[in-house]
Amino acid sequence: MAAVVEAKNITKAFGGVKAVDDVSVSVEAGEILAVVGENGAGKSTLMRILAGIETQDSGQVIVSGEVIPKSDAKASIDAGISLVHQELSLVPEMTVAENILLGSAPTTVGITRTRQMKQIAQAALEEIGVSVDLDERISKLSVALRQFVEIARAVARKPKVLILDEPTASLTPAETDYLLSMLQRLADRGMSIVYISHRIPEVFRLCDTVTILRDGKQISVLDVAKTTPQQVIDQMVGRELKKDLESKRSSSPGHVVLKAVGIRAEGVNDISLEVRAGEIIGLGGLVGAGRTELVRAIIGADPRKLGKVTLTVNGKTKVISSFESAVKAGVGYVPEERRTDGLALTMTVAENITLPNRKELSASGFQLARKIRTFADDLSKRVGLRPPEIDREAGQYSGGNQQKIVIAKWLGRRPALIVLDEPTRGVDVGAKAEIHRLVKELADNGTAVLVVSSDLPELLELADTIHVVRDGTITGTLSQEEADEKRVMSLAAGEQVENA
Amino acid sequence: MTETIQLGGAKETGFFPRLRTIIGRRTEGRGVILLLVILAVLAFTQPLVFTALPVTIGRIALIGIVALGLTAVILMGELDLSVASTLAASGVVVAIIPDLRIAIPAALLMGIVVGIINAFFIAIVGIASFIASLGMLFALSGLAFVLSNEVPVSIANQDAGLAFGQPLFGPVTPRILLFFLVFIAIQLFVTKVKAGREFFAVGGNRQAAYDSGIPVKRRIFTGFIISGFVSALAGVIYTLELTVATPTAGSTVLLASFAAAIIGGNYLKGGRGSIIGTLIGASSLGVLQVALFLSGVQVPVQNTLIGAILLIAVITDPSSLRAISARVRATLPDRTKVEAQ
Repeated sequence: MAAVVEAKNITKAFGGVKAVDDVSVSVEAGEILAVVGENGAGKSTLMRILAGIETQDSGQVIVSGEVIPKSDAKASIDAGISLVHQELSLVPEMTVAENILLGSAPTTVGITRTRQMKQIAQAALEEIGVSVDLDERISKLSVALRQFVEIARAVARKPKVLILDEPTASLTPAETDYLLSMLQRLADRGMSIVYISHRIPEVFRLCDTVTILRDGKQISVLDVAKTTPQQVIDQMVGRELKKDLESKRSSSPGHVVLKAVGIRAEGVNDISLEVRAGEIIGLGGLVGAGRTELVRAIIGADPRKLGKVTLTVNGKTKVISSFESAVKAGVGYVPEERRTDGLALTMTVAENITLPNRKELSASGFQLARKIRTFADDLSKRVGLRPPEIDREAGQYSGGNQQKIVIAKWLGRRPALIVLDEPTRGVDVGAKAEIHRLVKELADNGTAVLVVSSDLPELLELADTIHVVRDGTITGTLSQEEADEKRVMSLAAGEQVENA
Repeated sequence: MTETIQLGGAKETGFFPRLRTIIGRRTEGRGVILLLVILAVLAFTQPLVFTALPVTIGRIALIGIVALGLTAVILMGELDLSVASTLAASGVVVAIIPDLRIAIPAALLMGIVVGIINAFFIAIVGIASFIASLGMLFALSGLAFVLSNEVPVSIANQDAGLAFGQPLFGPVTPRILLFFLVFIAIQLFVTKVKAGREFFAVGGNRQAAYDSGIPVKRRIFTGFIISGFVSALAGVIYTLELTVATPTAGSTVLLASFAAAIIGGNYLKGGRGSIIGTLIGASSLGVLQVALFLSGVQVPVQNTLIGAILLIAVITDPSSLRAISARVRATLPDRTKVEAQ
């Protein structure tokens, strides 16, 4: 059968990094194609190009033999490509009906034909079998219902191809179940579906074909019936599984520094963990698994529903109830979004480094300029800031150097526990190695380290023990000897590890 | 369809549940409550407000007309600080051109041009609307002074001006009539016209608006043109009623119109609010001003009271109350306990 939609040799680079590198996919009528890959493999970018939201550097999107103009969302929709976004793209204060027909409401001389609009919206909701009050505002609906309204919007456009980007990320198992059977029904009626997911079991339940992306490149296209989940995971990870033995630390962990018991918070479901002095604990898993939420709840940066966290420093145990108390007790936190959360970009390096150390560097409220300079100078050299000019604005440095500044900021406090969330995302290779060295050095000097990373090689290199988090719970704990990329990935994606 | 799923959000049945959901969907709650409280208090303390109806409605129309145009912009999450100086400049334009048949269209055209320039800087150049319209505020108030030679200008056709101040029927002066026409026009525009409804999308989730193929930039132009035109219309009304244009006219209008929009439940970040809300907000403020004036309260004291009421109206909104209590709880002194081990 001929392909309904075909993407040919699509390439897209962001600042020199190829997010999508010469990828071609095609899907036939009634076919369900899965696109899988690790975080950052280029799945979402590829889909945004298909939907005309992102502009490809080269390559073509062809629908029923016609080439679709680049980066024209409207043309893509008209041609029959409908994308259900990963981030919800509904307007919170508009009604269900208005959202389903956003931008395409039927009108006579500019005036919206409300009744006809509601009929179309109702038909789309019925097609996906969801019942909801058409006049309700989106802001009043549950997350799951919003997801279904979003799908109804895509279906209302009568697409030839429906693209869903991680549609089950915020759904319960029962809702997921319903969604999958609904997609099956749509496909049975001849709609083509492109399904992006991290979750391998869903792919095997639903899809006919699976395309595997890795680092922007297309690794293979497999017939789902003729492959196994383990094969797919192998190809997603794909790297040579050699462990760098030289980099291994001889860890001899000390007393328990951080003790978190029964943590429940938004996206976190009853997690307990401990970190010892001189130990690096890694939190692995997929984006959205609840790792960031977990560490933020532990250090009090976000509210906890339940659970107790204590920090033991020099034989004294303190309860951590707020972020302020955590910092006072000796916690350092390098957040995921360093540009927004970790750094004051318009302040100088020196000012940034000394931010959490104000008290030590001032006398009766006045800051001691010379002391601040030597303090900041020492630290910026220690973390290998290049160039180590402490009077430059933090915003002028590259991503890797900015991250070093954030780490330097906390080093100055000699933290008992340091929490790093995606410490090397978007950082070049050289800076990455230096940051890894710094983290290990911290642990060797007796600091307890908790690292969240979606970068598997990084996690394997740094962590003494890896907890894998999925859907807000720890699904497995691997020691450094047991851990390899496939096992972490299997636990993260929800596949049983063979003979584990 | 073989199978359906129920995830909540179903249509309520029965009169009271329906009524409750309908009320729950409105954004004007705080404005309505404030207006009712003010009216209830005044019924006892200052019943004159009700007998002096033409004065009261006139006052409401004065604040309200600018606020209505402003709301169109606020719904998109943008600000237009230039409304009051547009009013002043268009008022001067009306006075310096002798023939009203030319003067009025010229003043209104100026309002449209102001809107286009504002929108150009915001939608095309990409400047924040606060800054772009702040620049316009200065430019126009300067222009008003230059055109008027820094002194009040009387209109040439005094008779037309005097006639304009007379009621057409009952208490309805041309100003009040125009106010209601503007209200109806903008109300219909943002509730019934597709482009107007899309203002909510532009303000509520701009990315979603782009992704759905809504011409966001064109909507921004439309909004600022509405705001500029309505402000210019207010300037025309002002000058005709007083038969004289002052370059400082409308100096209190800017803040009052923002206050009216906010009290009416319009969310300054956009996407949430209504034109009816602004009407109610303007009514609350207008009634209050007249009552305070009749009670002999000095203008500076009036302003202090209005400021206090604005804050009370905003923080007593149920959704803000929830947010505030969460924030207060989060900033309470931490309870770090030291336990001996």
